[in-house]
Amino acid sequence: MKVADHQLTRRELLKRSGLLAGAGLVAPSALLEACGTTTTTSTTSTTPKRGGKVTWALEQDPTYLAPFGGIPTSNHWGNEFMYDSLLQWDKDLNVQNALAESYTTPDDRTYIFKLKQGIKFHNGKELTADDVKYSFDLMANPPLPGSTSYLGQFPAVASTDVVDKYTVKFTMKKPDASMIGFLAWGRYSGIAPVDMYKQLNPVTQGIGTGPMRLVEYVPNDHVTYTRFADFWGKPLPYFDDLVLKVLPDEQARVAALRSGAVDGATVSPDNARVLGKDKNLVVYKGLTAAFREIQFTVKAGEKKPWADRRVRQAISAAINRQDLIDKVYSGDGKYSGFIPPGYGKYPIAASDLVNKYFKFDLNKAKQLMSDAGFSSGFPLTMLSIAQPADMTQAAEVVKEHLQQIKIDVNIVPQMIGEFAKNNGNGSFDVDLTSRGMRGDPNGFVAEFVNNAKLWWPGYEMPPDIAALVAKGIATPQQDQRYPIYSQLQQTLMNELLEIPLVAVYKYQVVTSRLHNMYVAFTDFNTGLRQAWLG
Amino acid sequence: MVPTLFGMSLAIFLMVRLMPGDVIDVLTGGDVSITPAQREGIRRTLGLDKPLPVQYLQWVGGMAAGNPGLSLRSHEPVGAILARALPITVELVIIAVVFAVALGIPLGVISASRRESVGDYVARVGGLIGLSMPSFWLATLILLFTSIVFQWIPAVSFVPFLQDPLGNLSQVVIPGISVSVFVIAIVMRMTRATMLEVLSQDYVRTARAKGASRRSVTYHHALRNALIPVVTVVGFQVGTLMSGAAIVEVIFGLPGLGYTLIQAIFARDYPLVQTTTMLLATIFVILNLTVDLLYGVIDPRIRAR
Repeated sequence: MKVADHQLTRRELLKRSGLLAGAGLVAPSALLEACGTTTTTSTTSTTPKRGGKVTWALEQDPTYLAPFGGIPTSNHWGNEFMYDSLLQWDKDLNVQNALAESYTTPDDRTYIFKLKQGIKFHNGKELTADDVKYSFDLMANPPLPGSTSYLGQFPAVASTDVVDKYTVKFTMKKPDASMIGFLAWGRYSGIAPVDMYKQLNPVTQGIGTGPMRLVEYVPNDHVTYTRFADFWGKPLPYFDDLVLKVLPDEQARVAALRSGAVDGATVSPDNARVLGKDKNLVVYKGLTAAFREIQFTVKAGEKKPWADRRVRQAISAAINRQDLIDKVYSGDGKYSGFIPPGYGKYPIAASDLVNKYFKFDLNKAKQLMSDAGFSSGFPLTMLSIAQPADMTQAAEVVKEHLQQIKIDVNIVPQMIGEFAKNNGNGSFDVDLTSRGMRGDPNGFVAEFVNNAKLWWPGYEMPPDIAALVAKGIATPQQDQRYPIYSQLQQTLMNELLEIPLVAVYKYQVVTSRLHNMYVAFTDFNTGLRQAWLG
Repeated sequence: MVPTLFGMSLAIFLMVRLMPGDVIDVLTGGDVSITPAQREGIRRTLGLDKPLPVQYLQWVGGMAAGNPGLSLRSHEPVGAILARALPITVELVIIAVVFAVALGIPLGVISASRRESVGDYVARVGGLIGLSMPSFWLATLILLFTSIVFQWIPAVSFVPFLQDPLGNLSQVVIPGISVSVFVIAIVMRMTRATMLEVLSQDYVRTARAKGASRRSVTYHHALRNALIPVVTVVGFQVGTLMSGAAIVEVIFGLPGLGYTLIQAIFARDYPLVQTTTMLLATIFVILNLTVDLLYGVIDPRIRAR
């Protein structure tokens, strides 16, 4: 008997839907705040078994498997079992060594990594510092099909030098604490053997050190992996074969789960609830970093009402986030600050968000509107993303809330390409958007400096924001960074040029024979690395 | 045919570029940290900085040489992508047409030759239902039904016919049926309508008067003449199915042409969208030509003219 983390059982689903409410049939479940994730007890085998084939349904085609500069999230869904980084996160975002044996920071501009010895690539070659240098040089200038546009996430590495066969030194252009998170995230920092790009087509092929060795990738259809017997992280992986099948249609994924044609898939909350009633399936849920928020632009000379801080504060106070969670996310969601809940120790405490910063207070909102001279309200056009549909649904609920302070919201849903273009060039007044995962907390707040001229050229940004952003990125000691980002978020929650709303859950449904899964906060599938078939 | 294809290529090229959203934003995931210089660098790398006439000539020239370029997203040759996708869609369409012809024509004949009978009413109502039922809805329903009732759906990883014929057929027959229902209904209704018209012709009455059996009159004298409009409809439907099966391909995870086209449109993958659309349009034109030629085979009078 064991406890399966991050698992939502059939019973809990029934309980949530009210069928078992009050019946006392459900074992008490504990709330695990570390990852903002509900945990329930379940009876599963504790002894991992080896062997078997796992088929997992992907919502999108990986597009390509190249490890460097891959922009689509699905790119990493396709190659995450093939490549490893020097470091890795565990499920609670604690940094652990991966290919690295250890690392030191002799000064604030130098990182020295010692590699584990004897690590093998899938082609049998041993991992050395040359491979790390080769990979980092390509990360700094990713060849096609990768994109240089990801470089905003890349740390300020000036040079990568091979010290000896198993030691590599990174010299930074400036102190940059994001290096560790960048490596642990692993999305852009997989290590490939020297000259891999010359030896094969990185679009459909690849060689890494990961637990699974690539067999074939047929674009738009599937990626097939087989167990890498010389994987450095033994006893992982437990299963022999892994097939990632592209099934974009959600009903097809649901049918495939019911029939056992696939062992796992990500589904919407509604389908998770339905599938939770199937005795052969288990539902896991977990928060991801993709929180929803409202974003304003403040342009010079426009004098829009929301250029006044009090109006933005009024809007925030008028939004009932719990109502938003209940109506759009069926009660499953959390209040989010600028750094989303689940991101280690950086987020503002949930109780402070609920009772202090984002407390629903209509009277306060009306008073702020009156103080700003807008007691009779104003019209506002809000762009939203058409798909996923929850973004526009959330905008509709926000519209309903803002009517109470006489703000008339006109919602304009747009396809992601058009929305991204407008967001990217600042061609919007207000939008309801989503944020994604970042390797370092700086990634959630750096835009208040880097994009200030793009989005808020007409706004006098408090100088302590830029100072705190600079201080946070220049402070390598994690424990010293927590108060910096706490202070920074408090400042931002006063300014509210962006209004964080809610963090939402991701649901993964697996067949009951697949054990030891969890939903990764990163939106990747690291849970599958440690899973086994019972 | 050549002017038609030229006109189509020009229309496709221009319409693809009228799609909202910038391909750079799609490629970069809407990353707002990207600088204008990086944006232009990507545009230059992809050849999108060149004037439109140059881009058009490069694409058309490439197609003529059998190399329509690389996918903007994956950098895989477009030709290789289409070579992988085309057989899947062709197989799906063949199955759909076989079902449509094998069921639609006999049902239409029976319905016409037993006009106003119970069988006729059943066939007509069935035809109406078939016409009204969207194939994507039917496909989803079939999937959910088989998964819930039988705990079975077609295998999710596509296997080519030559590799595993039985495994392949078990994957494509149900999707084929899903898209064929609409065509069965059309063929049935068209066969019925034309059979009714032909059966009232003088030569049919003459055939009956000279003592030909009912079966001989129906199948020998009437059906062959009634088939010309049916062939036209089937030919047209084959062309429509080539692209119209897209949603069913997505639902069943079959990476055919329609599925590829949908993914390419979402990605604003210009070379792939253009070439796939051009391929579908060319198939359509060729099918129309084939149908015209088939008239002569079915009706010697047309050949004589």
